[in-house]
Amino acid sequence: MKILIVDDDPINRTILQRLLGKEGHEVITADNGRDGVDEFMRHQPDLVLLDIRMPGMNGYEAAREIKKLHTSRFTPIIFLTAVTDDEGLVQCIEAGGDDFLTKPFNRTILQAKIGAMERIRQLHARLRMQKEELEHHQERVQQELEVGQHIFSHIVRAGNLLDAPCLNHWTSPMTLFNGDLLVASYNPAGGLHIMLGDFTGHGLSAAVAAMPVADIFYDMTAQGFSIGDLAEAMNVKLLSIMPRRMFCAACLIEVDHRQKSLNIWNGGLPDVLITDGSGRLVQKIPSNHIPLGVTRMTREDRKVELLEMRPDYRVFLLSDGVTEATDPDESMYGTERLERHFDGTHPPDTLFRVILDDLERFRNNAQQSDDISLLEIVCDRAGEEPKGNEEKRQRTAIPPTSWDAAFVFSAHTLKTVDPLPTIVNAVMNLQAPSGHRERLYTILAELYSNALDHGLLRLDTRTKKTPEGFIRYYMEREERLAKLEEGTIRLELTHRPIPEESGATESHGGEILILVEDTGPGFEIDQIHTQLQGNIGHGGRGIALVRSLCHALEYQGRGNRAKAVYRWTV
Amino acid sequence: MSGTIHVTRNDKETIIGVKGRFNFEMHSQFRAAYQSESGEDNQGRRFVIDLAGTEYIDSSALGMLLLLREEAGANESDIEIVNTRPEIRKILETANFQRLFKIA
Repeated sequence: MKILIVDDDPINRTILQRLLGKEGHEVITADNGRDGVDEFMRHQPDLVLLDIRMPGMNGYEAAREIKKLHTSRFTPIIFLTAVTDDEGLVQCIEAGGDDFLTKPFNRTILQAKIGAMERIRQLHARLRMQKEELEHHQERVQQELEVGQHIFSHIVRAGNLLDAPCLNHWTSPMTLFNGDLLVASYNPAGGLHIMLGDFTGHGLSAAVAAMPVADIFYDMTAQGFSIGDLAEAMNVKLLSIMPRRMFCAACLIEVDHRQKSLNIWNGGLPDVLITDGSGRLVQKIPSNHIPLGVTRMTREDRKVELLEMRPDYRVFLLSDGVTEATDPDESMYGTERLERHFDGTHPPDTLFRVILDDLERFRNNAQQSDDISLLEIVCDRAGEEPKGNEEKRQRTAIPPTSWDAAFVFSAHTLKTVDPLPTIVNAVMNLQAPSGHRERLYTILAELYSNALDHGLLRLDTRTKKTPEGFIRYYMEREERLAKLEEGTIRLELTHRPIPEESGATESHGGEILILVEDTGPGFEIDQIHTQLQGNIGHGGRGIALVRSLCHALEYQGRGNRAKAVYRWTV
Repeated sequence: MSGTIHVTRNDKETIIGVKGRFNFEMHSQFRAAYQSESGEDNQGRRFVIDLAGTEYIDSSALGMLLLLREEAGANESDIEIVNTRPEIRKILETANFQRLFKIA
């Protein structure tokens, strides 16, 4: 050890120096407080033996100076004193001394005290090292988290959550990473998909699991898959990546302003609340599925609740962070208090704010114990165009070429899969008429569902004209589809470049002929035209819409063959 | 503040009682409670999760129940959740756990 002796008495210095020298310590000396402090700074000793009464700077002052100058490392100071009164000893400790040694010096006690101080010093050194390591580690983790959070938020916010005019949302993550995943995105038919997922746990682990879910959400929505398909794909993914004790309570909603319908799949989230124009609760959609990532899904588990969407409806979707938010006494907000807002006293357009304000009042700055998310869907704005023009994905244009494709779907296929997303993808990849995807999808989807619903399943659209009929129609559809044994739908696509204009070197667009034919008995052609033209009531995106998108549309044969021509230009 | 776990067992069944807050802090306690019991000798052992004294249950606790279900041998062993107060029952039913466990 390197030991500094500060004493104005040369005899004392000599005795101590000899004693310590024999023990193998390196000794430095000073004969007053001022020099003592200087020597201390110069040699950085491991231990200081300090006399109290010295000319100039005394021991107390020197000790204070040393402790003040030297805060990062612990260097014990042992006062050398003749005084044994309590007052004097207290003063030693107050000045920053760690121990004291009374004169005359006893060799054994000196050794023992030095040994004890050495142990304390080493302990301090180890603690300091650990603290530094910890701080270093913490800083690195914090930096990594910040980068991760940046990436995460960009992946998750890739969609239309912010720019869909019909959505209002509020989230309050408990940590840097939000364990609640809130995403929204338009599908090719113009419908809006929304998902709120609440992962077990918070922070990083939840965020990591949320990323593939967000990916599936955006990818499959863009391809035109239904929310039931999305839920199933997410479930498969989560089952394969998450530990068994983690799962994701989730709710998926499809807002289809053309069909005027809401599709809701709720697996483990609180009731979805729906109000009408009076601000009163008209419907609650409870969780009727097991959350995602728990167990394999059956056909039954894919089922969605279908509701008619009235323009005055507002839909509230929330995570249990809302109902389970606690006040400073740890009592919970609860569904009762939440639903009390929906008693007709608040105008519907203020409800979102009312809930958030009341929640904040209730929590009263209590520590947040879960991520909190709340989303509102304003149904009469569902048809509005998204703010800003997000759809700017530039793709290399593929020059229009000639190609033909035909698909024939048997009854078995029709009840097992929805072939449309795949077909639209194929067209987009072959020809990439960018900006036309949504329209092509809509045309194909309409013609296909007409062929299936009316041609093969023989459903009557007029049923859809009343709210009760609307639900009945879709129940009937499901039943008949399950029982469908025979019949096929044939889909033919023929693409040709639009002939070059004089002077142009390359064709700048194409024409796609779409034939959809079913093996059903068909309709009187005149009748179908009137019927389909009138098909704009409830759920009536129908043929009128297709006609408006197409260059030409006609029904042929016995009314079982639709022929549409769609033209696109770059 | 988290809860406490009390385990009673006989030849055929293990009763795990959870008092207080059943949350993420209970993970190792809860796991220890059933892990010491399960194993090859415990084929057909019945697990009863007694929530009579449970004040609150969070999603990590639901996760622990799922873990028990898997580690105790899923369908072969018999897991029953008993004495659920209405608030707790509501949470279990929101996650549709009545399809995975017997809940009484």
